[in-house]
Amino acid sequence: MPTTTATELAQLGGLVTTDTSTSTVTVNGTLAATAIALPNNSVSTASISNSSVTAAKLSNPQYTGFRNRIINGDMRIDQRNGGTSVTPTSGQYLVDRFFAVQSVASKYSAQQNAGAVTPPTGFSNYQGTTSLSTYSSASDQFYIAQRIEASNIGDLAFGTASAQSVALSFWVRSSLSGTHSGSLINAPTFNRSYPFTFTVNAANTWEFKTVIIPGDTSGTWATSGTGAGLQVTFNLGSGSSFVGTAGAWNGNTNYGATGAVSVVGTNGATFYITGVQLEAGSTATDFERRPYGTELALCQRYFQSYGGQSVNDMITMGATSGTSTFVGIVQLPVTMRTSPSVGYSAASALTIDDNGLAGTSSAITTGAYGFTSAYLVVTTGATLVTNRPARCYTNGSSARLTWSAEL
Amino acid sequence: MYKLQNDHRGNPCAVGLLNPDGSGMSIPIDPANTDYQAYLKWLADGNTPLPADELAE
Repeated sequence: MPTTTATELAQLGGLVTTDTSTSTVTVNGTLAATAIALPNNSVSTASISNSSVTAAKLSNPQYTGFRNRIINGDMRIDQRNGGTSVTPTSGQYLVDRFFAVQSVASKYSAQQNAGAVTPPTGFSNYQGTTSLSTYSSASDQFYIAQRIEASNIGDLAFGTASAQSVALSFWVRSSLSGTHSGSLINAPTFNRSYPFTFTVNAANTWEFKTVIIPGDTSGTWATSGTGAGLQVTFNLGSGSSFVGTAGAWNGNTNYGATGAVSVVGTNGATFYITGVQLEAGSTATDFERRPYGTELALCQRYFQSYGGQSVNDMITMGATSGTSTFVGIVQLPVTMRTSPSVGYSAASALTIDDNGLAGTSSAITTGAYGFTSAYLVVTTGATLVTNRPARCYTNGSSARLTWSAEL
Repeated sequence: MYKLQNDHRGNPCAVGLLNPDGSGMSIPIDPANTDYQAYLKWLADGNTPLPADELAE
């Protein structure tokens, strides 16, 4: 096809007009070309007027850092399980921030990097689940999910006429091809759901998926505060009482879409996921890479773990308040969401050493004394000296102490 | 089974939960703590926790 340059057209008496705002060229008032592409290096900084770069354009959350509302979306951090396989009880956490629900016990196992397959390019970890059953029931729930703190979704304006769309993106690999599902749900009331589907085209192959979800303009949403605001769910086979029509908000509690694949319905079936990102807007951007220390700190707002790595992992200093009681304050490295629960691997997990006499713990107690530090009372046998400074450390390499303020 | 817990002065401060495998948890009395919320639901279902231990000294 012969081409004519703008100069040639002008020499022929044609009026050539270029409109860069619409990327069009008109000749004598007639549209001649659209979607003009500028060649590389053709626009210098000086040719961009200051007034064309506005704060409004720069503030688009899709072009800024911390756009991913999911924490540990690349499944790197596994403080609780350290990569070991678990058959989770309902509500038990897996890799950090992701928890499992199975209303009937032992229908699936979960493990960071289960099956040891190669993760998608750019990722080192994934959350794997493996079916242990051929279970099917209308009234049961099977899924993995993450709850997002209300104060981290306020700008989405869900529950108002200004509700923003969100883009959910992730990598998935399943032994079951077909239509899988998940949902967004308002938390903690759980009475607004958006079931969505995604298709696994080929079994046992990593595939990248994007789901665009319109903001919910109805319902009651928590958009501030330290409670839960939104739950992102990946369904593993919830029954018909807990699934709904895909692609629309409804007033029920749905963990997936009607007619989708059930992972727990096929014994040995696998469902692996990583690179989970939820962001404002109608376009999924590349997965946001955050430094490990930053991601760990984000996780530690909800869960912190001590011990399990050395024989004597120091927890804190304190003082004996009796011959069998130690009181200490544990300074937490990250401010937690609320006063944390203290968990222990065994009542005997701790040793109290008052620089002469030592006692093994028989009871461990905490209290609501703030979010930046934690109160710790350790009961031992009557082996201590009253009113002595003392140190508290984990008792053996398998002993662990945890602080939890999950949503 | 939940068990009430006192601080070193004998004042109520937490609720203990002991698991069958010997692990356990101490839950602060804080309405924003989801473990405490689960305890309140357990109470609302008509259950009663074990009493706290007496102060040793």
